[in-house]
Amino acid sequence: MAKPRFMQLVTLALLVGGMSASLLLAQGKTFKVGVPLPLTGAEAKFGEMEKQAYEMAVNEINAKGGVKGTNLVLDIQDSGGKPETATAIVEKFITIDKYPIVVGEYSSQCSYAVAGVAEKYKVPYLVVTGAADKITQQGWKNVYRLNPPASLYNMGVFSFFENVAKPKTIAILYENTDFGTSTSKAMKEYCDAHGVNVVLFEGYQAGGVDFKPILQKVKSLRPDVVYMVSYLMDASLLMRQSKELDINPQIFIGGGAGHTLPEFLQNAAEASEYCMSATLWTPQAKYPGAKEFFDNFKKKFDKEPDYHGAEAYAAAYVLADTLKRAKSFTADDIRTALSETNMMTAFGPVKFVSWGKFTNQNRMDTLVLQVINKKFETVWPKEGASAKYVFPAPHWRDRK
Amino acid sequence: MSRKNLIGLLPIAAVLLIPLLTQNPYLLHMFILSLLWIVLGQSWNLLGGYTGQISYGHAAFFGVGAYTTGIMVKSGQSPSTAWWGLLFGGLMAALVAAFIGWVCFRLRGSYFSLSVLALSEVLRLVAVNWNRLTNGAEGILFIPAFTQKTYYYYIVFALAAVNLGVIRWVMRSKPGYYFLAIREDQDCAESLGIDTTKYKLLSLLISAFFTGAAGAFYMNYMGFIDPGIVFSIADISIMMILVTMLGGAATKWGPAVGAILFILVSEIFRVWVGSGHLLFFGVLIIAIIIYFPNGIVGTLVDRRTRKRRLRGAEAVA
Repeated sequence: MAKPRFMQLVTLALLVGGMSASLLLAQGKTFKVGVPLPLTGAEAKFGEMEKQAYEMAVNEINAKGGVKGTNLVLDIQDSGGKPETATAIVEKFITIDKYPIVVGEYSSQCSYAVAGVAEKYKVPYLVVTGAADKITQQGWKNVYRLNPPASLYNMGVFSFFENVAKPKTIAILYENTDFGTSTSKAMKEYCDAHGVNVVLFEGYQAGGVDFKPILQKVKSLRPDVVYMVSYLMDASLLMRQSKELDINPQIFIGGGAGHTLPEFLQNAAEASEYCMSATLWTPQAKYPGAKEFFDNFKKKFDKEPDYHGAEAYAAAYVLADTLKRAKSFTADDIRTALSETNMMTAFGPVKFVSWGKFTNQNRMDTLVLQVINKKFETVWPKEGASAKYVFPAPHWRDRK
Repeated sequence: MSRKNLIGLLPIAAVLLIPLLTQNPYLLHMFILSLLWIVLGQSWNLLGGYTGQISYGHAAFFGVGAYTTGIMVKSGQSPSTAWWGLLFGGLMAALVAAFIGWVCFRLRGSYFSLSVLALSEVLRLVAVNWNRLTNGAEGILFIPAFTQKTYYYYIVFALAAVNLGVIRWVMRSKPGYYFLAIREDQDCAESLGIDTTKYKLLSLLISAFFTGAAGAFYMNYMGFIDPGIVFSIADISIMMILVTMLGGAATKWGPAVGAILFILVSEIFRVWVGSGHLLFFGVLIIAIIIYFPNGIVGTLVDRRTRKRRLRGAEAVA
């Protein structure tokens, strides 16, 4: 008999617990914003950087008097990178905490799950890093995306191809994830349409360590360009093993993500030299505040932010700007103000437009960076370049 | 029906009333996830707890159920077909289970555990690479049929109730005793004339069917799956083991207690403790393992029977 009674007690305790959780609403002259982020789990590194960037931006905004005399307060909650948890967090944000806007999340999966919830309750949601095309292709009216979709990450690379590289053959390697698949698909479509012969189009298992079989194939095909979409470890290993196998295309190009992280320089060491990558942002980008953000972040947290940090930092400013223009702090007025956004941020211009299948999607130029003398330099487009590109890259044996 | 059974129904009735007490979507979401995990824990418990066949790869069946549903919707283009997934997803999972069980249950010891683990990884790779069927790593998405969570609540409640009922019924009938016999001593069971391969397979089929149905529910409820989510070793396969083991393997209410612990209590920790919640939740889990070595329900039941035995001995003396 103790068993069922115990069960009842547990159920009751949990019910009461859940209810009283709803009473934790802080009052005062503040505006709270719900931000789900992966602070634990495999994506924690990105979540951490974004959290620091959000907090940095909000501190700056509040120090200047906040928005209409109201201080912004971030309610950052850990989703662990799991869609169910992200869903739970946002359900709570919207229905219990009654936040009129949601900002954040990192991965495409979680951003998509959160977008579904936000759309259901008609609460505006600003996607900051989730890149899969589908997130802004559902015709949803409450989902706005600050970052370009994955299929446009390569705009800078395409223009580099057309103006400088003019490759005839390309080998495409990609991590078998949502981001890897959709980015490389976009690259393949571009190449097919522009007469670049795709000699190899192969996905590899995320988290793999031995790329020699796949790289042997690349070597025998002798492509002009080797294009890779990778996370951190695989990006480093691909470059190191390419060096070992003495593979010499005209250029190695990464599709963002792993190839743009500072750790890539350390892990791949001299093998990273002359490797290019698509990127959304670099501290050398000619946007007002970009360099200040980079320097301040580095001073404060003793590490270099990449484009994810810049996205989060800019998102907080977009939020502040939206609230300033909103007639009131209700979901409807905030949505109206958000859709009229037209501003410059440290991450670049932000304006939500709809075209083709996309709705409320920010459109911006993407850049190309190259590792020159163990440093990331912006090399394309020419107007914003911090150094001249090295193309074609010298063969491994001809390097010192 | 005895008085004891009636009291056993009380928590079920209480759970049935929850949507009448609150319509809050966040709370309902947490309860729906808990019920889903009760189904998963109970299914694993039948095979791992009662029959003693440890599976490290139940995500295989969960994923097959979810993908069957997703593919049905993708080809049928109507979310209402998705509910048939509860049946067909379960059946497909059972089919896969029949194959792996038929091959592996002839072997002893850890072979089954390892093969299922391998199976779930193989299926994940198939789902990633078979683009035309599964849409690869980009996953399958559709707009869920209902916006009201109450419907989902009752559907998953019904699934959990049917699951509990079927397992109770099986455990009280002949195959149930065979399962226990196989767990305690397979040689002994065989010498009594039990076809151990057949009954292990039966246990696996029931377990896989409900795991697949739970996967189908997940697809219906979340509206989005990808191979990394539904074939996850850590988030599905190992979680199922933890839910069952900490609640109490081979007990009636163990998986339910485990599911509530891992879903609701961990959520309460997440909300109240904030950053570092995993640390505190981890300490709680360690405490449970130390003080309830047979799981919460398992240890409580043990203590009670021991007390009773002692009392019996005193009476005799």
